[in-house]
Amino acid sequence: MTPGISREDGQLKIRIMKGMELTVRETLGLVAGLVILFNLPTITTLAGDLPIRQRPIYRGIVFGLAAVGLNLLLRHSELVSFGHAAFFGTGAYTVAVLVSDYQVKSATVLLVAAIVAATLMAALIGYFTLPHTGLYFALITLAFGQLLFSIVKGQRALGGTDGISVRTGEAGVTILEQFPTLFGIQLTGQEVPNTILLWFTLVVVIISMLVMYRIVKSPFGRALDAIGQERTRARFLGLPVKRYVWAAFIISGIYGGIGGGLFALYFRSVAPGETLQVFVSGDILYMAILGGFGTLTGPLIGGIVLETLANIANEVVFTGPAGETQMGRFITGAVLLLIVFVFPKGIVGSLKPGGRVFEGAKTLKNDPTVAGPWFRQFGQVTVEAAKRSVKNVRYLLFGVK
Amino acid sequence: MVTSSIALLEANSVLLQSGIIEGLQNLLQPDTFIVQTINGIRFGFILFLIAAGLTVILGILDVLNLAHGELYALGAYVAASVGGFLVGEGTAAIMAPPSSFDPVTSFAFVGVLILAALISALILVPIGVVMETVFIRPIYERDQVYQLVLTFALLLIIANMIEFIWGSNPQKLDLSTKTAVNDIPTFELLGLSGVPSIVTLIMVVSLVVGVGLFYFFSKTKTGRIIRATAIDREMATALGVSPDRTFTLVFALGAFLAGFGGAMELVRTAANPGMGESALVLSFVVIVVGGLGSLRGAVVGALVIGVLQNWMTVVEPSLESAAPFAVMVIVLLVKPEGLFGTWGERT
Amino acid sequence: MTDEDTTTDERTAAEKRSERISVSEGSTTRRNVLKAGAVGAATAALAGCSSLLGGDDGDSVNIDQDEVSAGLLTFTEGAAAILGQQAQRGAEMAVEWINDAGGIAGQTTMSLETQDEGSNAVDKYNQFIDDGKDVTFGPISSGTHEELFQEIETNQVVNVGTDGTVTTLYEGEDPTYSFRFQNYDVMEVMASVFEILERVGADNIDTVAGVNPGYSFGQDEMGIFETAIDRLADAETVYSGFPDLGSGDYASHISSINSEEPDVVFSSLWGGDASTFLDQAFQRDMFDNVQAVAGPVFYGSADAISEDVVKGVERGKILSGSRNYYWGIPEPGRSPDSDALYDAATGQDGITVPTAHYMSGFGAVTAWATAVEAAIDILGEFPDQEQIAATLEGHGFYTPGGYYTMNVDHQCRGNGYAGVLQWDDNIGAPVIEDVNIFSATQISPSPTGALTSQNEQTGEGWVDSL
Repeated sequence: MTPGISREDGQLKIRIMKGMELTVRETLGLVAGLVILFNLPTITTLAGDLPIRQRPIYRGIVFGLAAVGLNLLLRHSELVSFGHAAFFGTGAYTVAVLVSDYQVKSATVLLVAAIVAATLMAALIGYFTLPHTGLYFALITLAFGQLLFSIVKGQRALGGTDGISVRTGEAGVTILEQFPTLFGIQLTGQEVPNTILLWFTLVVVIISMLVMYRIVKSPFGRALDAIGQERTRARFLGLPVKRYVWAAFIISGIYGGIGGGLFALYFRSVAPGETLQVFVSGDILYMAILGGFGTLTGPLIGGIVLETLANIANEVVFTGPAGETQMGRFITGAVLLLIVFVFPKGIVGSLKPGGRVFEGAKTLKNDPTVAGPWFRQFGQVTVEAAKRSVKNVRYLLFGVK
Repeated sequence: MVTSSIALLEANSVLLQSGIIEGLQNLLQPDTFIVQTINGIRFGFILFLIAAGLTVILGILDVLNLAHGELYALGAYVAASVGGFLVGEGTAAIMAPPSSFDPVTSFAFVGVLILAALISALILVPIGVVMETVFIRPIYERDQVYQLVLTFALLLIIANMIEFIWGSNPQKLDLSTKTAVNDIPTFELLGLSGVPSIVTLIMVVSLVVGVGLFYFFSKTKTGRIIRATAIDREMATALGVSPDRTFTLVFALGAFLAGFGGAMELVRTAANPGMGESALVLSFVVIVVGGLGSLRGAVVGALVIGVLQNWMTVVEPSLESAAPFAVMVIVLLVKPEGLFGTWGERT
Repeated sequence: MTDEDTTTDERTAAEKRSERISVSEGSTTRRNVLKAGAVGAATAALAGCSSLLGGDDGDSVNIDQDEVSAGLLTFTEGAAAILGQQAQRGAEMAVEWINDAGGIAGQTTMSLETQDEGSNAVDKYNQFIDDGKDVTFGPISSGTHEELFQEIETNQVVNVGTDGTVTTLYEGEDPTYSFRFQNYDVMEVMASVFEILERVGADNIDTVAGVNPGYSFGQDEMGIFETAIDRLADAETVYSGFPDLGSGDYASHISSINSEEPDVVFSSLWGGDASTFLDQAFQRDMFDNVQAVAGPVFYGSADAISEDVVKGVERGKILSGSRNYYWGIPEPGRSPDSDALYDAATGQDGITVPTAHYMSGFGAVTAWATAVEAAIDILGEFPDQEQIAATLEGHGFYTPGGYYTMNVDHQCRGNGYAGVLQWDDNIGAPVIEDVNIFSATQISPSPTGALTSQNEQTGEGWVDSL
């Protein structure tokens, strides 16, 4: 089947490739997203003082890619990983060590090595996590992640907490010539190589997303869904549950490894605090939820939004009793609360039919007066919650009478 | 490139040359062993105060509260303010630290310090209640992943608020406060030097709170209701127990314990930005080792982790921070349900 | 060697200046600047070391340059803000002094924007570049400095590092735009080592122990210390602990020291950690079991150190380094500049006493500004980045804290200060008494020959060869 346009159930569908058909809305969103991302260097230049910057967005893309991997476990096998930084870090450190200790300079070779290393790491950790579900799964992935973090930061050969620079350190060569190369272009971090690396990254991301699309639509993906819903039943149905979960875990880890490898190439420096620590794992998870873990592209968009948000929010400074304080964490926390209580389907999920924003906008378009009741409802909920807590404090302090 | 010359220096490190064996020999010298074990037990007791709340909330509410470490940090910061208020030189000060040991004034002063810790922990109770009733209650029925997002959001907000209120410099009580406690002879009476009496104070007070907690759960009516709710929520509801109120109570209790732990640690050391995060991650280890939701497990887990980490500083300092996670991984692999399984039936 | 070379400041600072000024006149950077492409005003007289306090002959050329905007990366939040704020205030004061004197070369004023380096520091650095900053300063963290080092080469805008003193960073490298003002780790550790040898005596030291922060900086410092004390006093390390940053718990480390009873304890803990460590050591009577506790950066946390500890410990048992600057040298009253800086600093928000980190900020800005003035003198116009970088190589300059040389390896070297930590009731802060001044050549390998970076002796290699 070739790409084309078809009409199904009265809806116009656009076929991208075999088995992949999108609605007009989805296609438009996709095209717009890609146009924006490919033109990022121009946009950031035009943006001037607006807080649209390439580095946070790039960080969002590569962490978002890890979140896409994590989402395979989360969405389909109902497994919450709290240790995905382990794979991201493995990918990033593989690139850094190969460049600085073994003088490997080809970006494509480095990326392949990152994938291999992440595969091995995911196979190892995945094997031990197989018997676990629920919170235990979250905690054991966290334990492995923190173990790896503690070990790496204690290794002087890996630069300890300072980390390693992604350059060869060759004698007699300028610093800019020590960086890895992509298609013969030195990745110095200057404008032209950065743009080329960005485009390369976007191509890698597109391929990764297409592969993920095929995986979740395949019988394997549907089997994961079944496993996620009810493991025992899936086993009775004859599904090799353990093998499938293990495979999903490894695939999910590979996405982290690719993200980490790209991170190392772009930022040219790898440190444990930025790539391996438990809160990095947390961020990857929250990216998936923020973007919408029920969707394919959600985690990626969640990554870009979360990193950009953190970048902007940290510029908000309040003066408190102890002087000036950046309110970045407060604002990020508030946004996460908003996701939990108002947009549980995440950004992408809410924009889809059935999602809160989509349905809300439709209602509002049909009858703009609903805005009033909405505000009243919001007010009522807030007042009720406040009353409830006052009541409970009273119960606790003075007993029930 | 950067590492090669450092490697040369590292070869000089006596500890790395002699390795773990010599470290073990050092540890097994009686004096070292006793002092380090006491240090570890003290650390374990504090860990228990944090982990107890975490594990009970998990056992009963089925919520993994990621903001729990921040409650501990908040307790320490509040105690720095309350303590400074009560024992400082201001007008509200109840008494100033005695300059030398005197049975009456010294013990009275210790009483004031404990009072300050209690007040600080009580201040955390309404905060815990608000967290439970306003934020956590609406999501009990939802996918577990949302509680991780929600409590992480609370973690970020509380941590930022702490920095907003107290700034980034460490907060601590005046050193004279600590000296006044240390002037009371305790371990010295047993012929053991090198353990300041402030450690004794923390151990005794934490022990009392810990024993009180077990008494509360096994002997009081409210405690038994809470346990019954943990075992069978529907049955408890059928018997007329209000799960809502039980949940709030449990959460407030957890906040109280964490806050109290933070306040007691403040007496000895200082409140730092970031102390909540490391406490959180370590108390994960504790509750996993002990068994998710098990109070007895939390005691054992906390002592194991506390003592082990202190021994490790003698045996092989470079493994100090990796050791707890290694233990956690081993326990999860060998006995995934933890040393004591889940809580409820067996207390 | 300490007996001969260690001065307890018999010579005045002014005498020392005049000794050195001749050296610097000869070696000023004309050759390099010309090499960098400056032809125009090659005949302009060399001003030698220009002064911050009013350009003397800068008005003779009319430089066509708008206000210079500078960016400073430092810790404004978190536990390290106690160090970072000092650097920020120092940099701000240097800018203020420059502008009070009419600006660089009496004509071009400076503005300074500060950003917190606590998270995503390199993003903020890049923002400075995107905003078109003419120069950047910072950072404090050594990890960030390593990361920044290559970014600076990528962006080709001069950065004068305030801190981030990991020794190996500038070794075996050939940077163009990246410079570092503060003495590096080997220098501050060696100042502490010589201080220990001076106070305790090599013959009296058989065993040493260390409690250092559990990250790269602490591990580096302890590594250097162990090697140096082994070479110079033949002492054995009996205990070495690496508590996590901000752990607040040194009970087990102190207990280990108490049972080993080493002669000397070395600790590179800083900020609140240093103060907490000293508190707990005091509570556990550690000072009764050792002859001295030396910290290369204790004084950097002057604001946090407890009065009771400093007063309660026998004099001479707490030794502190103060990197390349101590406000009490030259002694108050002997140098108007030094007194003026002290008075100005203590009038700033949040500064009880200026520490070495204050000078990190002040000196980095001064290094750059004086180099630009020197380049203007040669070129007759405002220099471009490459010309500024070339001028900075080998550039000598004064600050009220003394004379500093930015060596050809891009690492500035200044005197190392160390002495006995004491409490001063008048200023309500600790002070350093009996200050020993160790010249840069005493505490670091000679930078000569560093032009060919491969021939350079590494700092740690030099310690090893002592």
